[in-house]
Amino acid sequence: MNYISELRAALGDANVLTDPAELYVYGADWSPMTSSEIRPPDVVVQPKTTRGVQRTVKIAHAHEIPVVAGGGLTGMLGGALALFGGIFIDTTAMNSIIEVDPKNQTVRVQAGATLQEVNDAVNPYGLWLPHQPESKWVSTVGAAIACDNDSTFGVRYGKILNCLLSAEIVTGTGEVLELGHRKAHFTSSGYKLKDLLAGSEGTLGVVTEATLKLEPIPETRFVEMLVFRRMGSAVDYLSRLLKAGVCIEAAHINCKRRLKFYTHAYTAKHGREPEIPTWAEALLAVAFAGDKKISSMQRDYAIDIASEFEAEVVKEREIVESWWASKYTLDFEPFKQKWPDSQKTKKFGAADPGVPVGRLEEFYHKFIEVAEKHNLDIIGMNAYLEHPNSIGFSLSCAVFVDYRNADEVRRFRMFHDELSKLAVEFDGTMSTFMSDTHQKAPYLELEHGNSLKYMKEIKRLFDPKGIMNPGKKFVREEG
Amino acid sequence: MTTAGLEEFEDELETCFGASCGFCERGCPVYQAMKVRTLSMKGRNRTMLGLLNNRFEITPSVIQAAFECTLCGNCDRWCSLKNTDHTRAFREYLLKHGVAPMKEHSSLLASMKNYGNPWFQPRSARAKWLRGLDIPKAATGKQNVLFFAGCTSAVTKPLMSSLVASAKLLRRAGVDFAVMGQDEPCCGSTLLRVGQTDAFRELEKENFEKFEVLGIDKIVTACPGCYTTLKKSAERLKSGIEIVHITQEIVHLIRSGDLKVRKSSERMTYHDPCHLGRLGGIFDEPREIVKATANFVEMPNHGLESRCCGAGAGLQAAFPQLSRELALRKMEEAKETGATTLVTCCPFCETQLGNLPGVKVVDLMELLLEATADD
Repeated sequence: MNYISELRAALGDANVLTDPAELYVYGADWSPMTSSEIRPPDVVVQPKTTRGVQRTVKIAHAHEIPVVAGGGLTGMLGGALALFGGIFIDTTAMNSIIEVDPKNQTVRVQAGATLQEVNDAVNPYGLWLPHQPESKWVSTVGAAIACDNDSTFGVRYGKILNCLLSAEIVTGTGEVLELGHRKAHFTSSGYKLKDLLAGSEGTLGVVTEATLKLEPIPETRFVEMLVFRRMGSAVDYLSRLLKAGVCIEAAHINCKRRLKFYTHAYTAKHGREPEIPTWAEALLAVAFAGDKKISSMQRDYAIDIASEFEAEVVKEREIVESWWASKYTLDFEPFKQKWPDSQKTKKFGAADPGVPVGRLEEFYHKFIEVAEKHNLDIIGMNAYLEHPNSIGFSLSCAVFVDYRNADEVRRFRMFHDELSKLAVEFDGTMSTFMSDTHQKAPYLELEHGNSLKYMKEIKRLFDPKGIMNPGKKFVREEG
Repeated sequence: MTTAGLEEFEDELETCFGASCGFCERGCPVYQAMKVRTLSMKGRNRTMLGLLNNRFEITPSVIQAAFECTLCGNCDRWCSLKNTDHTRAFREYLLKHGVAPMKEHSSLLASMKNYGNPWFQPRSARAKWLRGLDIPKAATGKQNVLFFAGCTSAVTKPLMSSLVASAKLLRRAGVDFAVMGQDEPCCGSTLLRVGQTDAFRELEKENFEKFEVLGIDKIVTACPGCYTTLKKSAERLKSGIEIVHITQEIVHLIRSGDLKVRKSSERMTYHDPCHLGRLGGIFDEPREIVKATANFVEMPNHGLESRCCGAGAGLQAAFPQLSRELALRKMEEAKETGATTLVTCCPFCETQLGNLPGVKVVDLMELLLEATADD
């Protein structure tokens, strides 16, 4: 019996897809690629339970077939694409909310639940999951863990790992493991294997369930935008706010080019670009949330001290609301500027490095230089604060990519690689929200040096046959 | 644009592939029930693209992707692309490339051809609801306003009372109108939804020629499917005939207070039929009527976000199990509001939801007429 027949016997015919049209839709994610590059898996399975995932992996293990698990397929660098064919585990049918525990502010979910489905389930209890990428409507819990993607509210709550208390995985041998510390918020016991899952891209196993820490929904939120003469001033200002004891909920520094990515609807409506002072080089969008009295006091104080940094508050609320909608509420009118109004011919492509806080401006100039060198249309840079109560940021160095043009896609990939390598030279990191995928695999040693061999050993422990998402993080070894 | 061929949408399909956001998945009732990617709009767009790019042949999954959709338009809510138009063009493309119409759809089409309605009822059945009402039959130059009953309500016995209520309310609103009785044609909605675009184009042309000959200035209808179909036909054919929904025509009676309405304390919710709400843009008038007659409560997914009942676009005929699943989900949402009655104004939604246990389903016009019975 071949492995597909075994999958049918184990999961039922309806849960094993082999029709080429059905497979085709799994052949691309959100990363810049031409449609001729769509590369479907050989078979797609849709298990409903951990047991179904386990059966799938055991069959794959016995036959040494690659296994890639995926959720909403909104990855920006091909992390969940089955480069070597094999089995794609579509986890989206595993979307049950297993337990909401309001007293302990936790939720246990199947990993195929979207981040929005989790919030739909816990919001009635006055709780929310603050890990909120823009793709939250389709990004699943398992994919968020595997990709370690970004969150609008990172500066207050961190990213998915800060919310993840425990996770169940199926390893590359089909063993089911629970990693983490149940409902305790942290632990000093053992090795923190759970933490290995964040950004692991399914190379160690498939996340099947997760226990997540929830937060109380704040009573109110104030969003402001300030303009600065330099990006560095915006960084200094944020550092000052933290020193002052201000609790920032979201902070994103946009270069002035990047703002235009959010004002397409504004421009269409008013027939002009929003009025931002010509001297402004950086725009900081910042949110404060909590009880109204406290949040408004914090907001007022933040505005008061802005003048010390020669910053001005953006008075036109429509610009601020437009930006916030594009990040959080996803209200369609302002949001559609991003998907797909502004992308009729070209799409958003980015590098995702992290650099030391004092070198933001220097890196920004490098980004412009590299994008121009590769003749790419620049969208701009956004520095998202992604670490709780610190000014550590993810950088989104974005360009438009004509995905109908193979040469431009190739130039985009060269741009991505060059900025990733440059970030290491800057004493930073190659990736802060897309993970490594196959794109960074050939040069991962630049960042990790000799520790890479330990990473490979860890992978071998979880996945001795190298079947779990092969080619991601590490170049696939032949044979 | 609604009848463009699939090839004409290729650039849009590429754009969807490029954007790949998948925001259409969240509100898609079929995808949420099935969790099959080719049944979400993103997956369907990608399927069309793969087909046009010769990445695969027409397979059973391709056919399923084309026809297992209610064309409810929720995907268009979150996208700049004309997704429901893509789907219609997809169906037409398959039929033109050797795919036989689904047998359930074929019978609808045969009935359209032989009886002028999709429900195998003789033409004379269209006039049954008019008995005892003394409404003039439309004749050349005799009237400005036509009340268009629509096939489904006119030939389905349990739905006829909603037409009677509509006619009585129109009279109260002082509208001088006529009907076409058994000569009333089908608006062609069914043809359009199942991919018979050429036949639809012929029919709409014939229909509007008839309306023009009769000297009609305005068509009032209570059927949401007829409303959007006739409205789009009028636009496409550049006809000067105004198409309105009955709620638009009579809501002034409520606003002005001219119609004395007894308001009950019963908790009622309102289901936006896809064709009237999301596709027709009429949300407020029906709500004003329900609010005037009962203790109104919204479902969580309402207005533009209303979830389809599952009856539309040939789904009920060809995929009854899925169609029922969608209806059950809708009914569950209604029940959770604590409402005891669900009000709607579409013959398809009423039939679909009225067959399920849960809350009572009432036609909007009948509700209003009942609330004014002693007036």
